[in-house]
Amino acid sequence: MPHDLKIFVVDTGPLITLAVAQSLDYLLYVDADVIVPDAVLHEATFDAGRLGAQDIIAWVKAHRSRIEIAPTRAYQVFDAARASIPNLREPDLGERAAVEVIEEPERLRDDERGLLLCEETALLKRVVVRDRSRIVEVSTLDFLRILEAEQRIQSAEQVFELAEKAGRFPSRAEKMPMHDAVTRAAIQDLVKRREE
Amino acid sequence: MDETQRQALEAYSRGQMTALELRRRLGDIGYGDVLRLLSEADLPLPRAPVAGREEAIARARAWMFPKHAA
Repeated sequence: MPHDLKIFVVDTGPLITLAVAQSLDYLLYVDADVIVPDAVLHEATFDAGRLGAQDIIAWVKAHRSRIEIAPTRAYQVFDAARASIPNLREPDLGERAAVEVIEEPERLRDDERGLLLCEETALLKRVVVRDRSRIVEVSTLDFLRILEAEQRIQSAEQVFELAEKAGRFPSRAEKMPMHDAVTRAAIQDLVKRREE
Repeated sequence: MDETQRQALEAYSRGQMTALELRRRLGDIGYGDVLRLLSEADLPLPRAPVAGREEAIARARAWMFPKHAA
């Protein structure tokens, strides 16, 4: 059943920070639909050896009923171009896809509201928001502090401390480029299932 | 990492540079790499200041937990 509140994860930061702190489920502690643009998911997971990548894929697969992977034109064009340029990189792909999703006219209907979860506080300035009273932007730490204030989690700072230590576990940062094709197929499968 | 990149990482950690700008300066690295570099340099993640954003955070809290909103 759709919720009145939509949480848009508009860059990779929140996903990676929460993944490396083993806290992705905190996104589900709120009675809301979680929406991740396809390109943001791609950027967070295209290299399975990157910090948090495998945890994010597993988490999305495990909670498909709560998480929408929003298809975007930006990612569709990028994915098509990769057929001829396999190592193609577009650093602002996730950002463009997020803006595209937020600006979709049908995204927020009636009394629905949107919470933009991001590491960057500048994103909202680049979005043509029809009704800013229905959209609010919060950082990962803001989100965690609210959960802490509501006594849903023990400590927001503890999550950040875990994330800060994440890079000190070399096995999690080890490159495994051979998994790229597997990860890519997983994202395509997730997006396809959403479109069906 | 050269000295300029190290200074950029420190500026990001102090909240004086956005993650996107830092990632561009370090060669379009991913956010996971930012986390790793911060850890290696023993620098904390930036904490977004609450001052000036109280209204937005209060609104978000009321939307997230409407039954508990004051």
